[in-house]
Amino acid sequence: MRAYWQLTLAQLRIFARNKQVLFFTLLFPVILMLALGSFVGGGNALSLTAGIVDLDQTDGSKTLKNLFDNNEGIETISYKKTENGKEAVENGDVQLLIEIPKGYEASLKDKNQAFSLPVYYNEKNLSASELGLTVVNGIIDQYSKKLVDYQPLVTIKKVGIEALNIRYIDFLVPGIVAMMIMNNNMNGVAGQISAWRERGILRRMQGTRLKASTFIAAQITARLLLNGTQALLVVLIADLIFNINVVGSWLTLIFFIALGTLAFMAIGFIIAGIAKNPESAGPIAGFASFPMLFLGGVFFPISNMPDWIQPIVKILPIAHLSSALRETMNLGTSILQLGTETLILGAWLIGGFALASYVFKWE
Amino acid sequence: MQNETMVDVKGLVKRYGSLVAVNEVTFKVNKGEIFGLLGPNGAGKTTTIEMLVGLRKPDEGTATLAGFDVRKQVNQVKGIIGVQLQSTSLFELLKVEEILHLYASFYPSHIDIPQLISDMLLAEKRTDRIKSLSGGQKQRLAIALALIHDPNIVFLDEPTTGLDPQARRTLWDIVLRLKERGKTVILSTHYMDEAHVLCDRIGIMDQGELIALDTPTNLVKKLQSTSTVEFRLTNPPEQAWFMEMDGVEEVSIKDTFVQLYTDDLQLALISLIQISAEHNLNIEDLQTRTATLEDVFIHMTGRSLRES
Repeated sequence: MRAYWQLTLAQLRIFARNKQVLFFTLLFPVILMLALGSFVGGGNALSLTAGIVDLDQTDGSKTLKNLFDNNEGIETISYKKTENGKEAVENGDVQLLIEIPKGYEASLKDKNQAFSLPVYYNEKNLSASELGLTVVNGIIDQYSKKLVDYQPLVTIKKVGIEALNIRYIDFLVPGIVAMMIMNNNMNGVAGQISAWRERGILRRMQGTRLKASTFIAAQITARLLLNGTQALLVVLIADLIFNINVVGSWLTLIFFIALGTLAFMAIGFIIAGIAKNPESAGPIAGFASFPMLFLGGVFFPISNMPDWIQPIVKILPIAHLSSALRETMNLGTSILQLGTETLILGAWLIGGFALASYVFKWE
Repeated sequence: MQNETMVDVKGLVKRYGSLVAVNEVTFKVNKGEIFGLLGPNGAGKTTTIEMLVGLRKPDEGTATLAGFDVRKQVNQVKGIIGVQLQSTSLFELLKVEEILHLYASFYPSHIDIPQLISDMLLAEKRTDRIKSLSGGQKQRLAIALALIHDPNIVFLDEPTTGLDPQARRTLWDIVLRLKERGKTVILSTHYMDEAHVLCDRIGIMDQGELIALDTPTNLVKKLQSTSTVEFRLTNPPEQAWFMEMDGVEEVSIKDTFVQLYTDDLQLALISLIQISAEHNLNIEDLQTRTATLEDVFIHMTGRSLRES
């Protein structure tokens, strides 16, 4: 028992003194989160500015202009002359120019005649213009229906499938935590154990009365403490920066972080057992982790992937870890409903350690 | 008590594929003895030691250490032996004191750690990281780790390889003090002088076999010749030519370097001087010395330790 504590303590000391590893294993997920979170998902939608030229200057045209001014989807800038507005479109200052021509109000009163409103846009910047046109269309459509007292026969009622509003960053953070657990444990264990073996550190310990099981148990304890803390730290950082809420129970979250850590550690021990030297441990771990990064639902939802790949994805531990973390953090799913995830991760853990103890070598 | 057998090695064999790394090695070591395995790299010294300390399974034969069989009672054996392996590597980021406490925890009991640290001349480095130790200090730490649980038998595999002369001498003192404390020491080396200074008895190994086993003095005495005359000669004549000289027992010639082995140094020198005068030989770098273990090795294998 004393050997177990001493070895755990030794491993924690080694972690603490290897500041570079500590720093980068923590920094990488945080940077990745910041980068992907702000570039891809960031809540700020594309800003849309439209210019308006009111040539009619009547009550009717002012009502229409106010409608645009008050719409939250677009910002408006008024221009006196159409020419000034067109120039702004060309410069890219505004994406659209809406012109209310003279005689707008008069034609409105003549209810039998439809009136068309010219909207200028820059063809070089199509995506923004398209978006602008859609918004403008929507506003005009609603407005014209109001004008003719139109009662639609069929309407849609928007019902979100999930009651919560999930942003990309909410989706991303659990994935990154899962990725970090995979990297630190699988690659970390594989690299360290095979390096220790290569340098004869393990062989020297084999010459003592120390048992392999004590050594492995201490490794697991130390890594569980360290990597668990790191994963929780990343969740906390995400909470501070992106205001990620852990909807579900923190206990469930900690449970899955621990389960994931153990499962990937087991795989790491297998790789350490297979790898002939530390140089080959890296590529083998990379071979295992790289596909998992892309297929495991870390960055993209699994449902977006082609059908033929889905069965493969569904047995990968990373997929279940990220999904369990996601369910817990985003949706607050109870641990009782995450049986499949628990089961599959548990199977990887037990199967992994069984195989690892079979292939483990001191030298 | 002095004759109590601590290590009894019986017919150890280890094969790697078709290569026989250790072939039928048999020897006994008494309590309190320093036993040296001497031989060139690849002679099988390390493999022999690794089989004795339970790191490798012998293919044939066995050994008992203090009565425990290395094949069947590995755990008991590990409790009574201390091991310093060749080029031991340790957790570089731990401190001297910490690693001693760590290794101490692997055994049911251990000796006083501060005392051990000062015995191994590491007091100043007590709180330093292993990374920062010099080669000699690392080697002394490795020996400290081997002694942590107060073992009866200590195995040192090439303890001084790669150390500077002063560090080697410091280490020799430490090994000799182990003997004073009644430890049985088995060490391997490929340094003649080291084996001569430290060991009570020496087993000479070559190509997996134990080719000689005796005290250093007896090994040298067993050579038919006790002295050597060495010199350089451009275009030396045939070996047989020297053999006809009075007092010369054996001759070895390498390029221009000639060695004459003799039991009667005076006679051999006189006949050499006479012959060189008669035949107008131009002798350079003439030296005489008493035979060493190196000569024993050359005599038995036909090769010098360094070249093999």
